[in-house]
Amino acid sequence: MIKIQNLTKVFRTEEVETAALSDISLEIKKGDFLTIMGPSGCGKSTLLNIIGLLDSATDGSYQLLDQEIIGLKEKGRAQVRKENIGFIFQNFNLIDELSVYDNIELPLLYNNVKASDRKQKIEAIAEKLNISHRLKHFPQQLSGGQQQRVAVARALVNNPKIILADEPTGNLDSKNGNEVMELLTDLHAKGATILMVTHSDYDASFSQKTIHMKDGVIFSEKLNQRNVDVFMNAK
Amino acid sequence: MIFNWFKIFIYHLKQNKLFSFLNVLGLSIGIASVIFAILYWNNEHAYDQWNPEKENTYQVLNKIGMTGDTWSSCSIPFGRTCKATILEIEEITFLNSWYDDGLIKYQNQKIFDKKITVADNGFFSIFPFPIVKGAKTNILKEKNSVAISEEMAQSIFKNEDPIGKTLNYYNKDYIIKSVYKIISPSSVEPHFVFGGIVREGDEQNWGNFSYGLMIKTKKGADANTVLKKMQHVNYINRTLKDAKENGQTPEQYVKENGEISVILDQLATARLHGTKSSNNHNFPEGRGNLQLLFIMAGLSILILTLSLVNYINLATASAIKRAKEVGVRKIVGATKNQIIVQFIFETAIIVLMAIVFALAVVELSLPYYNTFLKKTLTMNGSEFYLQLIFIFGLVIILAGIFPAIYISNFETLKVLKGNFSRSKSGIWIRNSMLIFQFGIAAFFIIGALIVNSQVNYMMNKELGFSGKQVLKISFNYHERDKKTEKYLTAKQELRKISGVDDISTFAGTFGNSTNSSSGLTHNGIFVQPRNVEMDFGFLEMMKIKIVQGRDLSPKFASDTIDNWLINETLAKTLNLKNPVNTIITSGWGNEKGNLKFKVVGVVKDFNITGLQDKVPPMVFINLKTLKWNNFDNIYVKVSPENLPETLDKLKSYWEKNINQDYPFDYEFVDKGFAKTYQEQIKQKDLFFILNLVVIIIAVFGLFALASFSMERRLKEIAIRKTLGAETDILLKELSKQYILFCIIGFVTGIVPAYILLQKWLENFAFRINISTLPFIIALILLLALTLIIVLAKAYQVTKIDILKYLKYE
Repeated sequence: MIKIQNLTKVFRTEEVETAALSDISLEIKKGDFLTIMGPSGCGKSTLLNIIGLLDSATDGSYQLLDQEIIGLKEKGRAQVRKENIGFIFQNFNLIDELSVYDNIELPLLYNNVKASDRKQKIEAIAEKLNISHRLKHFPQQLSGGQQQRVAVARALVNNPKIILADEPTGNLDSKNGNEVMELLTDLHAKGATILMVTHSDYDASFSQKTIHMKDGVIFSEKLNQRNVDVFMNAK
Repeated sequence: MIFNWFKIFIYHLKQNKLFSFLNVLGLSIGIASVIFAILYWNNEHAYDQWNPEKENTYQVLNKIGMTGDTWSSCSIPFGRTCKATILEIEEITFLNSWYDDGLIKYQNQKIFDKKITVADNGFFSIFPFPIVKGAKTNILKEKNSVAISEEMAQSIFKNEDPIGKTLNYYNKDYIIKSVYKIISPSSVEPHFVFGGIVREGDEQNWGNFSYGLMIKTKKGADANTVLKKMQHVNYINRTLKDAKENGQTPEQYVKENGEISVILDQLATARLHGTKSSNNHNFPEGRGNLQLLFIMAGLSILILTLSLVNYINLATASAIKRAKEVGVRKIVGATKNQIIVQFIFETAIIVLMAIVFALAVVELSLPYYNTFLKKTLTMNGSEFYLQLIFIFGLVIILAGIFPAIYISNFETLKVLKGNFSRSKSGIWIRNSMLIFQFGIAAFFIIGALIVNSQVNYMMNKELGFSGKQVLKISFNYHERDKKTEKYLTAKQELRKISGVDDISTFAGTFGNSTNSSSGLTHNGIFVQPRNVEMDFGFLEMMKIKIVQGRDLSPKFASDTIDNWLINETLAKTLNLKNPVNTIITSGWGNEKGNLKFKVVGVVKDFNITGLQDKVPPMVFINLKTLKWNNFDNIYVKVSPENLPETLDKLKSYWEKNINQDYPFDYEFVDKGFAKTYQEQIKQKDLFFILNLVVIIIAVFGLFALASFSMERRLKEIAIRKTLGAETDILLKELSKQYILFCIIGFVTGIVPAYILLQKWLENFAFRINISTLPFIIALILLLALTLIIVLAKAYQVTKIDILKYLKYE
């Protein structure tokens, strides 16, 4: 699904050139649940942003569903993004001025989904994430875990090909954090492709594979034992 | 989608009630000012546009070569010769270029009307008002015919048929031939058009320029050709003949005396762009005030710009609050264009509210505006609504596009990472707009101060006469030949009324000049002095001083024969060192040639017209010298005690002895003269109101902008405070840039203010010089306002809870 080859990202200021990513190669297949870990400034967020088409690379190749992304114009990127990618953020990034329902509806609006279909889809996803009774509320009226579930609902409502999660539990206490991680695991079990950035070893243990990054390079990949348990549980 | 946008919009509207309201208010003031200007503009440009002949109808004016005066009148033989000899001219009409007011009688009814004109048969082909009843052509062919307007017909005759009825006007009977419908606005909108304008004896008099003349050319005729031919008629019949009489060649004659040049003003544009005649009587409905129109248009555009700048500034400053929303929208797939459209949509709603608000403001203040312009403007007509839609679109584009693009350019990543609020993007644009606002505010403050001091100067200027306690009372006496006799009798009788101190008269009014003027040549210098035909004692009553020689007096027989006074300006113009006893040949002649007069005194200059004009040269003679009976008011000096009683007595005397048909019409001379600067007082008031508006908008803009930018520095302030900064240092730190902007803005406002006000002051012969004082006051005022607002906000900001802002993030 995602094929990254020799990807490089250089930040230039007038005096200094900093390589945030150097020569990264990575492949994500359909149905994978991948975690990127590493200390602050290792380039993990930059990588996630490039994969999410929020940032552009300096050099290299990035193919999403066999389409070359590097060199795509702003408009094309918006198009690819809204059709294929769902985002989950550490700070949820819900629009406080809109109700839960309206927040979840946004991606559908921008994808020109018909009004009747929109309602159906929102209700379905809310049901699935157990927030149906919260649809009329505003984000500030919900707990952090509920807010993150709304954010997940918004990320999923348009059936994206891949979900990008940037420290999804970072702003949550352990109980709510666990809930969200279980939700992601559950989604993965149902076939979703997930790429997650995190600081937490515990969260990483929910995924199939963890990539460790440092100073813009990938220095280790490991398969997680926990994954096996999840599969066993799933059975 | 629109529903979603609308929800967000309403949310923000509710969240920032005050700012949203002020935003709408600011825009609506800008829009209202443009609506005011448009109403005035439309009205002035609508004059005569209904007239199907407007393109090929012209008013004929004459520029008199000798004096440089322009007269909007012609002589009868000139008009008739042109009509007879120039093929391109289809029709001409003679008419008065002013309205008469007078008493019209029908059976027992007496109608006192102020819109009476006299014309000849060509009138209705030049001004083709639709004929409602009666004859359609040759309406005024007979001298005793009259046409009346529909509303007059209605008010006099009710349901009767007016055609064929007889109206009495100045003791003459006229038969109503037609009833016409006035189409407004028109340069001529008379209630009555009487026939028979041409007086006997004027038919061959080339020198009597008493008749307004309009011509209509044939379709496709070239105006320049017609003008050349008319000029030629003048050359053959006046220049050549006069030269011959003087025994000169035409070239010599023209060189010495100048020549009359004919001017044609097309009716379509005459109201606003026509040539101004020297006595300012171009059309009965007056001329359009092009300068005021431009002032209004200019100021309204300035105010709209100010409110637009304000809106843009606030929209971009508060855009920070929308940054996260925009970021999220982009993440879930919104394109830049969709963001732009969303924010233009919001602007559109605000503009819509502002327009509704503006319309309400205009509707409520229209009566005052109408009084100011002396018009009856209303808000309707398809043209007006089209313009309104145009303004709507224009304001949306001007106010909405920039903030929308600015917002749509937010970088998603920076926004969502949360370190966006301290970004410096767009700051320089906002600051330069703030400077621009300061510039406009400075311009208005300086302008108002200068206009104000000119008006004060005019109100307090020593005029050279004293009109206090002197009444000007209309003297309508029908038998013109006996007018002086009647006046002298009345004078004797009025003296007996207690409270009357003195009685005198002269042929003219203070503020509107004298009633006649006759050119003369002395020592080879040609001048056109105003004639002051006055009663003995007139100068003394008006406290006008004699600087050399003596006043005219009944003690000297020759004072009613060949003695006169001249004023200082005339003495100066004629280079007379010792004017007293100089013999000057006057412009008045009889069979024996021009009359000669001896100067017995020199009168100190006084203002006979408004302070726009210089003091003209003048000659002063007694009423009995020429016996022109040219005066139409009696001046009565009354004592301030028991004024109402005195007035009552005067009134009953007038009604009994002078003229029972006319209303007793009086005015204090100083108040009458004050009318000459009424216009300027209004402009001063206008400037004052606009000043308030501009300052309110600017202050609000400054406050909002200062709030936004200081709130974004909260973290910085918190850090400074933890490091030990004291409040006054913080205040200085926060306010200094605004003081700088204020000064830069002020400097940019100075130059346009100086140039435009200088131009405005050029309207006045008697004027103040622009001093530095208004500039200093404006600067201090502006600085004070800025300081108050900024310091108040800064003080509030420095009182923040440090912990709250340091813990955040």
